[in-house]
Amino acid sequence: MLDVNIKKRFVSGGETTFSLDAAFTVEQGITVLFGPSGSGKTTILRAIAGILTPDEGRVGVNGNVYFDSQGKINVPVRERRVGIVFQDYLLFPHMTAAENVAYGVREGTDKARRARALEMLALLGIEHAAGRYPHRLSGGEQQRVALARALASDPAALLLDEPLSAVDVRTRARLLEEIVDAQRKSRIPFLYVTHAPADAVRAGDSVLILQQGRIVQRGKPQEVFNAPASARAARAVGDDNILAARVVEQRAAEGITMVDSSGCLLATYYNALPVGSLVTLGIPADDIIVSRERITQTSARNLLGGTVKRVIHDEEKVELVIDCGVDLKVKVTGQAVEALGLSSGVTVYLLIKASACHLLA
Amino acid sequence: MIWAAFRLSLLVVSVATVIIAVAGTALGFLLAKRDFRGRELLDSLLTLPMVLPPTVTGYYLILLLGRRGLLGRYLYALTGWTMTFTWEGAALAASVVAMPLMVKSARAAIESVDARYEMVSRTFGKGEWETFFRVTLPLASHGILAGVVLSFARALGEFGATLMVAGNIPGRTQTMPLAIYEAVISGADRQAMYLALILTATSVAVVYLTNVLTRARKTA
Repeated sequence: MLDVNIKKRFVSGGETTFSLDAAFTVEQGITVLFGPSGSGKTTILRAIAGILTPDEGRVGVNGNVYFDSQGKINVPVRERRVGIVFQDYLLFPHMTAAENVAYGVREGTDKARRARALEMLALLGIEHAAGRYPHRLSGGEQQRVALARALASDPAALLLDEPLSAVDVRTRARLLEEIVDAQRKSRIPFLYVTHAPADAVRAGDSVLILQQGRIVQRGKPQEVFNAPASARAARAVGDDNILAARVVEQRAAEGITMVDSSGCLLATYYNALPVGSLVTLGIPADDIIVSRERITQTSARNLLGGTVKRVIHDEEKVELVIDCGVDLKVKVTGQAVEALGLSSGVTVYLLIKASACHLLA
Repeated sequence: MIWAAFRLSLLVVSVATVIIAVAGTALGFLLAKRDFRGRELLDSLLTLPMVLPPTVTGYYLILLLGRRGLLGRYLYALTGWTMTFTWEGAALAASVVAMPLMVKSARAAIESVDARYEMVSRTFGKGEWETFFRVTLPLASHGILAGVVLSFARALGEFGATLMVAGNIPGRTQTMPLAIYEAVISGADRQAMYLALILTATSVAVVYLTNVLTRARKTA
C-alpha cells in the first residue's frame, strides 16, 4: 500500500506559482493519476520517489515511512523501494537490454543478476532482444525492457510516468495489457500517470483526477470520466464520455457495429473488428441531445432512457450526469435546463448519433 | 640528445596525463554536480593557467612549491626534496598548464549527461560511487576522452612553465620542446628537424587513435 500526503509550494519572485496539496492511498492494483498537463502529476511521482522534497506531509509504502515532515524523516532515493518507468524509458545506452535489466537487480553475484535479468525479459516476452543495445530496439521493446528493469529491482511500488506516450497507436493497446499483466503478477501497487482517458479506462482499477494540484475526484474509471462530481472535476477530465465496451454484433449492410457497455447497447459506425473485441468508446458530451419525450422518428441510431443524477453549473454551460445503466455526461445550455425543467431525478431520453460514438485507440 | 629528450618527454607526459585524467575528471565532476560556495571561483582559478602566459604560471609554481616557496619550504624541510630542476617538476608544470583543458572538457561532458539516468540508477539502490563509475562516467566518456587527448597534446608541447620550474638540463629535465629550442639556437638543424618530426608524428598518432576508438564505441 502506498500512502501519500504531500504539500508543496513553488514560489517565484515572492509569488506562489503553483501549489500542490494531495493526499491519497493506493492499494494493490493499478491506480491511474489523471490530469491535464501542469496539474502536478509528475511532481507527485517525484515526491514519492524522493527526487523532490515536499514542504510538508508524509509518504509511506507498506508501513515504511519514506518521508515525514513532522518526524523529520527523508529517506534517500536509493533506500526507497520505489521503481519508476519514465516516459522516454531512460535505458542506459551503453548497456545491452540484458545488462540494463541486470543493473536493476539489487543483490546477488553477476551471474545471478544476469539469470534474473533473462528471466524478467522472458516474462515480458522480449528474451530475443537481450543482447541488443537500446538504439536497436523498437519503442515497444524499449518500453518492455524499462518495465522489466524496474520490476527486477523488486520495488514495493511502481510509478509509471506516461509510459506509452512515445509508442505508436497499434502497439499501445498490447503494451497496456502487458502492464496490467505485469501488475497482476507482481502484486504491488502501480501508480500510472497519463492524460489519455482511453488508457485510464482500459488499465485503471481506480482513477484519481488531479486538477491544479488538488485531487478533485476518485473512483472507478468510467464513473470519474462520465459522472464528474464537480465543475472542477468536469474541467479536468475533458468533454468526452469514455466507455469500455465489447463488440456484440456486426451489421455490415447497415453500416453499423453494435457494442455493449455494462449492459447498455450502442450503435456505432461500422468497424471490421471481430465480435467479442474489447473497444474503448468516446462520446463527446456536446454531441448528445436531451429530450423529455421519447422521440422515435429520428435519424439518431441510439435512444437511451435515463434519469438525471446530477446538475453541474459551470459558467454559461451546464453539465448533466444521466444514469442510463451507465453514467453519461451531457452538456447543455442553462436555458435548456430551465425550459425542460431538468433537475435531479427527472426522467429524460438521450439521442446519440452512431457517428458520435468514436472508437478510441 | 634526441633519444634522451624523447624518453624524458614520454615519462613526463605519461605521468602528467595520468594526474590530469584523474584529478581533472574529479574536479570536473565536482564542478558539474556539486553545488557549493565558491564553485565558479574554483572554476576560474583552474582556468587561469590556460589564459596566463606559461612563464607566469611557472613563476607562481616556484613561489608556491619552490625550495623557499609557500608550501615548498615545508616539503623541503620534511623530505629534503624539492621540485625545482627535477623531471617531477616538469611533470607538475605540464599537469598544471594542461589541466584546464581537461577540467573544462570533463565538466561539460558530465553536465551533458541527463541527470535522470543517475536518478534511475539510485532507484535501483545504487550508491554514488557505483552510479558514477557505471552510469555517469561511461555516458561522459566521449568528452572525457577528448579532454585527455587535448591535455596530453598540451602537456607534450609544454615549454614555458617547464623551463621556469625544471630548467633545461639535458638528460634530466630537457623535454622535446626544450631540446628543439636548444637544437635550433645551437645550429643543430638536423636534430631540430628530427625532434619536430617525432613530436608531430606522436601527436598525429594520438589524435588518430582517439578518433578510431571513439568511432568504434559509437558503432558498438
